[in-house]
Amino acid sequence: MESVERYVEFQKIDKRFVGVHALRDISFRANGGEVCALLGENGAGKSTLLKIMSGAQTPDSGKILLNGEEVVFHSTQDAIAAGVSIIYQERQLLKDLSVTENIFMDFLPRGRFGIVDFAAAHAEAQRIIDEFKIPIKATANVGTLSVAHQQMVEIMKAYRRNSRVIAFDEPTASLSDVEIDVLFDVISRLRDEGKVILYVSHRLKELFQITDRIVILKDGGFVKSLVTKEATEPELIRLMVGRDLGDIFDNLARNTEQGDIVLEVKDLTNEKVKGVSFQLHKGEVLGFSGLVGAGRSEIMRAIFGVDAIESGEVLIDGAPVHIKSPRDAIDAGIGLCPEDRKEEGLVLERTIRENTTIPILNTIAEKGLINLSKERAIAANSIKNYNIKTHSMEKIVMELSGGNQQKVILGRWMSADLKVLILDEPTKGIDVGAKSEIYQMVCDLAKKGLGIIFISSELPEVLNVADKIVVICDGQITGILDREEATEEKVLALAMHEHRAAS
Amino acid sequence: MKSGHNKINARSILQNNNVVMLIVVVAIIILFTLLNSNYFSFNNMMNILYAASIIGLLSIGMTYLMIAGHIDLSCGAIAGMSGAICAVILRDTPIEHWPVAFVITLCVALAVGALNAVLVNVFELQPFIATLATASVCTGTSYLLSGGRAVVVENLALIAVGKGKLFGMPYTVVIMIILFIIFGFILSRTVFGRSVYMVGGNETAAKLAGLKPKKLTSICYLMSAGIASLAGVLVTARMHSAMPGAVSGSEFDAITAAVLGGVAFIGGRGNLAGCFIGLLIIQCFANGLTVLGINSFWQVVAKGILLIAALIFDYVRRKNIQPSVITDAEITAAVANNQ
Repeated sequence: MESVERYVEFQKIDKRFVGVHALRDISFRANGGEVCALLGENGAGKSTLLKIMSGAQTPDSGKILLNGEEVVFHSTQDAIAAGVSIIYQERQLLKDLSVTENIFMDFLPRGRFGIVDFAAAHAEAQRIIDEFKIPIKATANVGTLSVAHQQMVEIMKAYRRNSRVIAFDEPTASLSDVEIDVLFDVISRLRDEGKVILYVSHRLKELFQITDRIVILKDGGFVKSLVTKEATEPELIRLMVGRDLGDIFDNLARNTEQGDIVLEVKDLTNEKVKGVSFQLHKGEVLGFSGLVGAGRSEIMRAIFGVDAIESGEVLIDGAPVHIKSPRDAIDAGIGLCPEDRKEEGLVLERTIRENTTIPILNTIAEKGLINLSKERAIAANSIKNYNIKTHSMEKIVMELSGGNQQKVILGRWMSADLKVLILDEPTKGIDVGAKSEIYQMVCDLAKKGLGIIFISSELPEVLNVADKIVVICDGQITGILDREEATEEKVLALAMHEHRAAS
Repeated sequence: MKSGHNKINARSILQNNNVVMLIVVVAIIILFTLLNSNYFSFNNMMNILYAASIIGLLSIGMTYLMIAGHIDLSCGAIAGMSGAICAVILRDTPIEHWPVAFVITLCVALAVGALNAVLVNVFELQPFIATLATASVCTGTSYLLSGGRAVVVENLALIAVGKGKLFGMPYTVVIMIILFIIFGFILSRTVFGRSVYMVGGNETAAKLAGLKPKKLTSICYLMSAGIASLAGVLVTARMHSAMPGAVSGSEFDAITAAVLGGVAFIGGRGNLAGCFIGLLIIQCFANGLTVLGINSFWQVVAKGILLIAALIFDYVRRKNIQPSVITDAEITAAVANNQ
């Protein structure tokens, strides 16, 4: 731990987006020669903080100090120039170019007439590679390297820039155990050189292995900074949970009567989904919890016929159904409200009316001709029942607020003859008022006898709305908890423990 | 809640692209009539429609594909090839009836349309590149078939179609107008037409809501090729011969007409009425320049300037539609006030 003069300090960083207070008055310090973990639930503010560090976003207020000096980043270039590098989960590499070109992406050594001196560049790149003891050639195309080695290239790029601060965003997500060891060696090296290392990961085990300090964020606020050696796993989980959402759930009228099994999934498997089995009853709200990227959406995509299934079975009302496309799924009685409303849910430039009737066009048409009065009646009904705030059904969906957009998608499924409705993060990015409306709508649909799958990254939401909670980690079910026994701690522990058998 | 009748005001009329463009057409006609009184005569108006008819036919398929977020650069070449095939069949084979020759031609054109669909939907090539390639194949084929020279048509029945008139309107004009009405109706009122809009507006969302984007766009490619084939045979009938290259480049005029008429290049927006008005703007302007005796090369320049003007206008208009920044609470208050 050579120098205490090297550090990055966040002072009262505050950032708001529409409807969300992403960072609240965050202050902490990460020292050089230390690996500092950022830990928190989904939506705790880690990504926003990294984005601010990288210059991709600017804070509404607050300061970042680098070795005592205030730095202001207006762009990612500013951040790089100041010596801050972020290693993202999705690597920012040019796969068709060589390792050298990627390492020197922003400044290839020039020779006479400004022509790139490749010999010198390759030699210098190879020197860095050897220094890191990585068995790759500087001239190799990055696309031909393993995922781990690609990540090393990314790190070497940061190293070459002489970065003072290097932040890692879930660096081990796609690495094998051996590759993780190599990565940790490199990170230790960089730490020993006195660099400031920020490390974002959900894998608690790793944090104990590699980090020296753990900073916990919750709901965009700073909770605590602990020395890793003195921390315990249950303590960390306890500090991460316990979000206060007020009395939003107090008046929720939940459905209490359940019927027969409406959907049964047996041993569903494909590239991203591993042996998933569960049952859903009529009138039941089945919560799906897990960390971002755990594979919840992928399970639903497989059930809904978007992604191909390798093996396994889906049964509706006890009878096997063969779903090859979303159309098949809808015809079998399954509806989906996708996670990304704007990209996957709505045709933004078209009207509420048109967006409402997409799945049922054939049922409101005679001989291929749309019955417009029927369509208007359905759209008007959906606007009324789902309390969509608009002057007219001819309003373009893009002009609605997030909550109302979500209600348009919910309304879309009202007229389709559904048995199962899958809601993927239905309350993401919408304000509290609309959220509570949507919770009630979910409960009302359950009362009507629909089986509901409710995916959410917000634990309090799942715990309060769902009858049962299925916890997913790494494409498989790590536990199914009843509402009565489920606590935030239990769900989070299941979500963060990999390969632990369901108990 | 009722369907919500918006009050008609000047602003909402100007928000309607078709109304604005129709005003432009009238303005162009008035302008040229003032400059030369012969401009606004029945004969000259027919000239305008006659000149517009082939591009008009091509622009129907183009509009469908553009609304679906695709494009067909091969329709001009398919028209050219179809003209050549039809003429060669009538000249070199024992087939004497032009409808038979036309059906064979149509089958070849549909095969090319199917090829476009396969390239785009199976091999997932960019529509722009895929149809550019098939365009080249078709253009080459028509040169090979014709030996690079005009193939003269001596079939009187076919020539009669090219010359024929209904109430003073050439058949090609009549056919174009009928097809615009039929396909305009399909686009605006049927499940198929609606689906085309949804797929073009957001393919993923459309698919997740149960539509089949690949099937829909494949039908559009077939449709575009079929209508192009008809257009090609009509050109041949009109000119008594198939000239290789006679309609080359007309796919770009079809795109220009569609874009002028408010069809979005990225899909999801526009209609055939708008496309027809766009077509009128181009042809009224071009014809006006001819009537005034201005060098015809200026027409090409004018077409480009019209397109740029239309796109700037569209940009300005679209800036008025913005994603919501108002909160639910504000909307609630506004709705409450209105009741």
